[in-house]
Amino acid sequence: MLRELMKKLWPKRIGKTEPADGAASSEGNPNGGQGGATPLRAQPEIKRKILVAVRGLTVSPGVLDYAAQLAQRLDYDLLVLNLKPAPPPEKKFSLYQKYLEEKFAGQARAAWSEVQGQLVGRGISYRQMARFGEVGQAVADLCQEFRRIDFVITDGLKDEEITGKIPLPVFSITGYQGEMVMAKKQGRLELTSWGKTAVFGGLTAALYAAVFLNGGTVMSYFTLGGWYAALPIATVFVFSFVHGTFAHHLWEALGIEAPRKATQPRPAAKRPIRRQRPRAQLRLKS
Amino acid sequence: MQDVAPQAVQFIDLNSITVLFLFVVGFIGGLVSGFIGSGGAFVLTPGMMSLGVPGAVAVASNMCHKFPKALVGAYKRWKYGQVDIKLGLIMAASAGVGVQVGILIQEYILNKWGQAGSNLYVSLSFVVVLVVVGGYVFYDAWKISRSGGGEQVASLARYLQKINLPPMVHFKTADVRISVWFTLPIGFATGMLAATIAVGGFIGVPGMIYVLGASGLVASATELVIAFVMGFGGTVKWAINGMVDIRLTLIILAGSLLGVQLGAIGTTYVKEHMIKIVMGSIMLIVAVSRGLAVPVYLNDLEVISLSGTLVAWLKGMSFIIMCIALGVGAIIILGSMWKAKRSEETLEPEYLTD
Repeated sequence: MLRELMKKLWPKRIGKTEPADGAASSEGNPNGGQGGATPLRAQPEIKRKILVAVRGLTVSPGVLDYAAQLAQRLDYDLLVLNLKPAPPPEKKFSLYQKYLEEKFAGQARAAWSEVQGQLVGRGISYRQMARFGEVGQAVADLCQEFRRIDFVITDGLKDEEITGKIPLPVFSITGYQGEMVMAKKQGRLELTSWGKTAVFGGLTAALYAAVFLNGGTVMSYFTLGGWYAALPIATVFVFSFVHGTFAHHLWEALGIEAPRKATQPRPAAKRPIRRQRPRAQLRLKS
Repeated sequence: MQDVAPQAVQFIDLNSITVLFLFVVGFIGGLVSGFIGSGGAFVLTPGMMSLGVPGAVAVASNMCHKFPKALVGAYKRWKYGQVDIKLGLIMAASAGVGVQVGILIQEYILNKWGQAGSNLYVSLSFVVVLVVVGGYVFYDAWKISRSGGGEQVASLARYLQKINLPPMVHFKTADVRISVWFTLPIGFATGMLAATIAVGGFIGVPGMIYVLGASGLVASATELVIAFVMGFGGTVKWAINGMVDIRLTLIILAGSLLGVQLGAIGTTYVKEHMIKIVMGSIMLIVAVSRGLAVPVYLNDLEVISLSGTLVAWLKGMSFIIMCIALGVGAIIILGSMWKAKRSEETLEPEYLTD
């Protein structure tokens, strides 16, 4: 009885410390959540998993290493998911689309084979797959398919793609120079772009109303000159912040966003050649 | 300027047409500025004056909207990694000197030949600079688009970059290492042009591209830093004299802050040489507009004589063509953005590029 209660409260710990289950842990952790009094060996074990979801082909070594360390420590399996955006609906079933999907899956396999060496010798089971579509849908499908995916590690996915769309805890990791940033806490109340547009739109309207409803007073003070020059300058700064933020969110809400970093590589200009001037040297006559 | 008492300045009453005109021109001007780094002022100032705003108030209010617009645009483009702040500040410092010299020249001409002489000087500067520089920019853009894209560093810039004349400065974002001495004349000319025709970017951006060797993207984004610094300085000067009509400024700002962000986003959609195409087109059309104004001022100086109706027609056409210049720029920007976005959505480039 006590054991059952303990198991409900600390399922993993009990599973780890239980000698009878120790042999099963090479295959997977005990299924504490569903277990109850059912003998653990009798039930087919489903090992817990970490899902590494990346956009495109490349799983950065930093992210893979982080996921591998976690999997090793927790004794989890790794699932690696290469994602591509869904094709337009009319092309979903075209032969060309099928070809592209196969091509992507093949490229993803090839890319994975280059980095999977990192997992060698660590005793981690892994599986790589490619999917087309939104990240939320893809993760939900995988949860159905594989079961017991405990959390997701993402690389290069935007916050708005993740937040509220994945039914699991998400850790977003930027693998650049070891900097690791956790994703925003799931379920936190986040204003959508339209919400932010409405808030800043309201503020902007209020500011405009404040100036234009008191036009006479404003004009009489703002045109006094001298130190009063600070008034119009401060006003335009405030407006540029509030209205500028409104404009930013408005375009974002309308789906007009920068698709990529805009700098294009150009042929490097030749640098001036540093001239080596001969140094005076002391010579001793022998 | 202090002797122009604020009480003597007539601030106009606003009506719906005025508000709509300023908002729309503000938006289009902002769009063009966000994209090519400058523009809009050359329509706004004469436009406001045609609505009955006194010249000094029109210039002051326009300038007061210019610097926050440039600030927002520069910030947005800085986030896209396009702004070279060091280059912008060095150019802005020399542009400040250029503005002062430009004002001195203007005052000298005003004293010697009067208002008509000053107008003629401004129009001739417009025509000469815009035809020469705009023509070259347009030719270069045409050459790039014919060769299938891909900007090359101009040969003049390559030559100047090889000259080791201390102090040498490395501009990281622009990826240019060049002597400060070569940046100074570009900044100076930018300032002088700004003082003369109110759009310094028509020299500044091509100067940074063809003389210093920055890319079109970086040059147009960095121009926004110069515009901010110069606009801020100019606004302080005008505001101390009480010339800023904050109502006009805020209406223009309402449109231009929307436009400038859209223009900045637009740079990330289109090919780099589109900046040159837009800039070249606007410059050449504005040159035609100012060219039409030249006979009017020659008539005022009694060098030639024209009938009253012809003068009125030339003035009207000049303003309309200027509006067209801005409109053409906006259409090219929006059109190319639309095209780029559509091709991005329909051609599944991601499937093929990986």
